[in-house]
Amino acid sequence: MNGFLEYVPGDSLLHRLNPMAKIAFAVLFAIACFCTSNLIFLAAMLVLGIALAASCKMMRPALGLMKAVLAFSVILAVLLLLTNPSGDVLVELPWGYVGTGSVLAALTTILRLEAAAIPLFLAFYVTKLTDLSNAAVKVLHVPYKYAFTFASTVHFIPVFMNDMAAIMEAQTARGVEFDQGGIVKKVRLMVPLCVPLLVSSVRKTNSAAIAAEVRGFDLRTRESGYKAYPLTVADVAVLVLAVALLAAAILLQVL
Amino acid sequence: MIEFRDVHASYDEDIKVLDGVSFQIPDGEFVAFVGTNGAGKSTTMRLMNGLLKPDAGQVLLDGVPTTELKTSQIARRVGFLFQNPDSQICCSTVREELLFGFKALGEEGPDAEAAVDGVIREFGFDADADPFLLNRGTRQLLALASIVVLAPPVVILDEPTTGLDFRECMKVMGIIRRLNEVGATIVMVCHDMEVVADFARRVIVMSAGAVVDDGPTFDVLRNPHALGRASLIPPQVVDISLALPLMDERLVESPVALANTLDEMQAAVSEEAGR
Repeated sequence: MNGFLEYVPGDSLLHRLNPMAKIAFAVLFAIACFCTSNLIFLAAMLVLGIALAASCKMMRPALGLMKAVLAFSVILAVLLLLTNPSGDVLVELPWGYVGTGSVLAALTTILRLEAAAIPLFLAFYVTKLTDLSNAAVKVLHVPYKYAFTFASTVHFIPVFMNDMAAIMEAQTARGVEFDQGGIVKKVRLMVPLCVPLLVSSVRKTNSAAIAAEVRGFDLRTRESGYKAYPLTVADVAVLVLAVALLAAAILLQVL
Repeated sequence: MIEFRDVHASYDEDIKVLDGVSFQIPDGEFVAFVGTNGAGKSTTMRLMNGLLKPDAGQVLLDGVPTTELKTSQIARRVGFLFQNPDSQICCSTVREELLFGFKALGEEGPDAEAAVDGVIREFGFDADADPFLLNRGTRQLLALASIVVLAPPVVILDEPTTGLDFRECMKVMGIIRRLNEVGATIVMVCHDMEVVADFARRVIVMSAGAVVDDGPTFDVLRNPHALGRASLIPPQVVDISLALPLMDERLVESPVALANTLDEMQAAVSEEAGR
């Protein structure tokens, strides 16, 4: 089973796209979601995101992500409902009211976050981190040091999540009640465990840095990589689609 | 008593790890689980203390299925030493680390303090030392000590000697043997067949999620078929005693061919030399 943001091998169109095209598409897609409040457009974007996930057999992580984003976006939506009185009055509140406009704004927030998140996360599941950093160096001329730093940061997210899971498991085996009680209790119990996680993180990062140094990390330049990342017709088509979606979102908002 | 009844387990729906495992471990046993990586040994250990629940079948602790118990409840009865001590260690001094288990179980008090003092003396720790600054072997000893101090009736050890030098390994195994001598049930996963031969009284061989052999240590270690299925080789003395009769038929029934330990081999060789 693959962990959070870990590459899932495959041969779908998304897998085969240029890493930079994937990232650009995901970013433009997310910007488009934030440029409009049109619910139908946002719903269409969400459907497109889900279709993209299905096309590369990534429905399970996509649904997991949607669940996590839903929990976060519902909190924002409730705040909007309670603090953004607009439209026809539906419920009177001591400090204002919940109106039809409030409900629409809340729905928009949920749809926007759900739609924007899927391609951004999907891009990491269908792209090897080495390809991502190498393409950034080759195509965007980003200095390797910075591209590697970014790739390493993303790479360590699932590593640290696994470490935390192992630490929590070990402490549960010692009698710490992670398997009982609510979220507040679990968070309170997790605080002291940040120490071993921090220690193991520093050790791992230090080891990785030393390993990179002894293998000539500082000697690496843009010319070091032998693999080229040319833009193909499919990459250009995907970028055109992303720009069109962004333009449509802006037009829908302006008109 | 620990009992597995036709246990099936998996981590993911698609990846089956255990496929119909059954055995019983009576109180006071010293059992070693051996087999290649991926055979299902560590999964079996995780099932014993409830970190993993079976997909089918039953894991019983003193007759109670682990599905009816939380791992944190099982912790009082079953101590678990993980392969990586850094997952277990979480306090800023050795003393706090040893007290941590009592705190987690809500058993702080003078008795806990006295037990911690005793273990610090027995293991020769510096009570105020920072656990994260200790070397790997000492951290492993500390992780073991944090289990020993709670005196659980069952101790599960997942590769307790990994990464230790010979001296550290013998120290860790000596402490484990003493625990067993005072009544604790020891269940250990180990890749070092010499350690298994020296300490375990029963061996369970696992391969591809199933038990392929189970019996007294040297009955199993002298079974090349079972060991072969798990890609294992016996300890050197057993290997030699098994090989000698193949080289000379006259040695088939001799004590040399039946020797399991170095002492037995030396005695047998002396006897042969005396004839």
